Amino acid sequence: MTNRLFFRELFSKGLARTLTGQALAFAIALALGAVIILMIDESPVAVFLTLMRGAFGDTEKIAGTLLQTTPILICGIAACIALRGGMFNVGIEGQLFLGGFAAAWVGFAFSLPPVLHVLAAMTLAVIAGALWIAIPAFFRVRFGTNEVVSTILANYIATLLTSYFTIFLFKRPGGWSETPPILTSAYLPELFSFSRLNIGLLIGLALAVGVTAFFRWTSAGYAATMVGSAPKFAEYGGVNVRRVGFGVLLVSGAVGGLAGGVETLGVHHRFMEGFAPGFGFDGLIAALLANGSPIGTIFTALFFGALRAGSLLLEVDTTASREIITVIQALIILAVSADLMMPRRGDRTGERRWKF
Amino acid sequence: MDLAVDLSGITKRFGAFTANDSIDLAVRRGEIHAIIGENGAGKTTLMNILFGLLQPDEGTISIGGRTMLVDSPAVAIHEGLGMVHQHFKLVPSLTVADNIFLGMEIRRNGLIDRAAQVERTRVLSEKFGLRVDPQERVAGLSVGIEQRIEILKVLARNARIIILDEPTAVLTPQESRDLFQTLRSFVDDGMTVIFISHHLEEVMAVSDTVTVLRDGRVVATKPKSALNKRELVRLMVGRDVSFDRRPRTPNEGTVALDVTDLWARDDRRLTALKSVGLTVRAGEIVGIAGVAGNGQTELAEVLSGLRPASRGRAQLHGHDILDRTPAEIRNRGLAHVPGDRMVRGVDRNASLSANILMGRQTKRPFSRLGLIDWTTVHDAMRALIQRFDIRARGPKDPARSLSGGNIQKVVLAREFTAGGDVLLIDQPTRGVDIGAQEAIHDEIMRQRADGRAILLISTQLDELKALADRILVMFDGRIMGAVDGAVVDDDAIGLMMAGIDPAEMTEAS
Repeated sequence: MTNRLFFRELFSKGLARTLTGQALAFAIALALGAVIILMIDESPVAVFLTLMRGAFGDTEKIAGTLLQTTPILICGIAACIALRGGMFNVGIEGQLFLGGFAAAWVGFAFSLPPVLHVLAAMTLAVIAGALWIAIPAFFRVRFGTNEVVSTILANYIATLLTSYFTIFLFKRPGGWSETPPILTSAYLPELFSFSRLNIGLLIGLALAVGVTAFFRWTSAGYAATMVGSAPKFAEYGGVNVRRVGFGVLLVSGAVGGLAGGVETLGVHHRFMEGFAPGFGFDGLIAALLANGSPIGTIFTALFFGALRAGSLLLEVDTTASREIITVIQALIILAVSADLMMPRRGDRTGERRWKF
Repeated sequence: MDLAVDLSGITKRFGAFTANDSIDLAVRRGEIHAIIGENGAGKTTLMNILFGLLQPDEGTISIGGRTMLVDSPAVAIHEGLGMVHQHFKLVPSLTVADNIFLGMEIRRNGLIDRAAQVERTRVLSEKFGLRVDPQERVAGLSVGIEQRIEILKVLARNARIIILDEPTAVLTPQESRDLFQTLRSFVDDGMTVIFISHHLEEVMAVSDTVTVLRDGRVVATKPKSALNKRELVRLMVGRDVSFDRRPRTPNEGTVALDVTDLWARDDRRLTALKSVGLTVRAGEIVGIAGVAGNGQTELAEVLSGLRPASRGRAQLHGHDILDRTPAEIRNRGLAHVPGDRMVRGVDRNASLSANILMGRQTKRPFSRLGLIDWTTVHDAMRALIQRFDIRARGPKDPARSLSGGNIQKVVLAREFTAGGDVLLIDQPTRGVDIGAQEAIHDEIMRQRADGRAILLISTQLDELKALADRILVMFDGRIMGAVDGAVVDDDAIGLMMAGIDPAEMTEAS
């Protein structure tokens, strides 16, 4: 499978090489972005400064950036887990929606004591995400169905399913396509009085550290890493490759569901149709830019969060549309993946490589 | 003297490492000139310089008597050079003719003239006795035929000097013999062949002149008639290496591995094992001889749990192991050195420590309560580097930074210390330097002396004759017969490897 080879190549490069390569890619992307901004008759400097101000201008703006970062980070970690085990979970968006809905449902349909209520809602969000990916995961390990395709397709079903739930089964009286609000006992605790930034961020950071430690220091994490990087070697060594592949996808989906739970319980306090556009995909991209490293994903997720938060000020202070950040994001993705594809001219043996 | 190629004073450095150190090489027109040396001796670098893939730091290149700058393969091809690489560069989805003319398609009215390409291929194929079907797709052809296509590619570009890099590494003995005949006919036609190898037998079999490289330097250039195998080894390795039969004392114990009427299929669902039966006792080395692809790999895979058996029985210390997982069979005491070490035997991108942890990641002392104690793993790896003389800087080196022979030692080190008392060893020295081969053979003999039961699969008869107590010959998925390792009759084994039952031969005569 080509994506597996692609990632082996990606992991095999030295860290320093990767970092310089990515810094260069970012620089090229920003330069191209500047050209596009010039084409819409805006000053690139003004746009970038406004973005920076919108993302980090004062404590409230920083909190806003972190609020956007949280779901991207958790989704990114979900992606990292799958990548380490040699799997691609492109269905995080769908797991996020179903997890978000499941948490909201527990939040408004039941009345429970405060801490227990949050735990129950989160648990169901995790289960929902895991169950949703269990279907493509089963087909992957049983019949070898490409999980990239099946998890992408599962996204559409998941988002439309939650729309159906929201519009036809649990709609709040009134205009919006959203569920009734959750009880305050199910709110995630907020970190500051001036922002909806909540402990979801801490959950994300703890997950990043925990997942890194799991892959580094546990037997199961070692086995999963080996299945990801050398499946035939792992099989030969006695690792049950199918079971590990299934497990890795299941946990990845569970974390995707968790991201949805954090978003509904922490930010919106209800489930809204189309409540979290693109967080799942942004998370996957953040994970890819970080080479599948959860710790690295903290920084790439922060970058994407800052772009999202900064773009809010962009439309107020400049004539540029906030869509410009989508363009910049796309350019970065292109530049970074182009760097990966570049042939290595001459390695230590001095032989030229002609293969791409 | 009419020289086809004359390299003089070629030096090539990569950083502090000198790959070629003022090398002189004179190849006469119309000869087969072998360049022999261990891995890393500088053979491939030298040929890449000649072919324009690398530029020398010093020295000059003359082709056909004219000194010139060869700064790209295009120049080399223009001067009549052709290179057949060790790893074929063919497009599987295209036909034989399409592959041969890839990049120099015969065109008519701007479109590819397939009929003309097929016709040209047919003419070339007949002229040089390299039989191919021009319209067949490359996918699914045997490596022997793939190599023929590579040679035809070179001939289609009008090469008069042909460089072959380790051409027989992937061939069966029969295919090698065909290749040698072809090379001979090229020379009879006035062409020149440069032939890179580290395989002694074939160098002795086919070449006119031999140049031996060691550590980037030419240690000798001699006509083949002035050399013998023992001398060649000494020139290559720099010391005497013996591949005589290893001395041994009888050490046989109880039956450890018992296989009866075993059947299995290969990846293409064809029957690969046909009623295989064998026993291996503790303290005994049983060799499996045979041309590659006669079921040896499938046998190893079935016994280690990586491939299902169709029927039959296999017992490890009296316990059935068919239908068991690889992990269960390992825990029963089977260690397996796989034939395809780069794919099965190691994760090339992981550290040496991560590579020896495989199979014992849940076992003490390497892991406790599901947590890996990396300090212990690194210490164990350091000890193995010492004991097996692995050339590595330390346990955190990635496996890919090691040479093939040292990677093989890592695999052997892991499997020999896994605690198993039955060793399944598939191609222990394939692609391994001669010096390292000797060390690996020593280690296998030590395992025998320790009372391990060893099933040794090898395509190299010399290796089996040096090590095995008994040799079984496989052909087309069957065990054709057994011979005593001490009194090997090459002819009898050769017949069995070709599928002829020696008993029938005697009855017939």
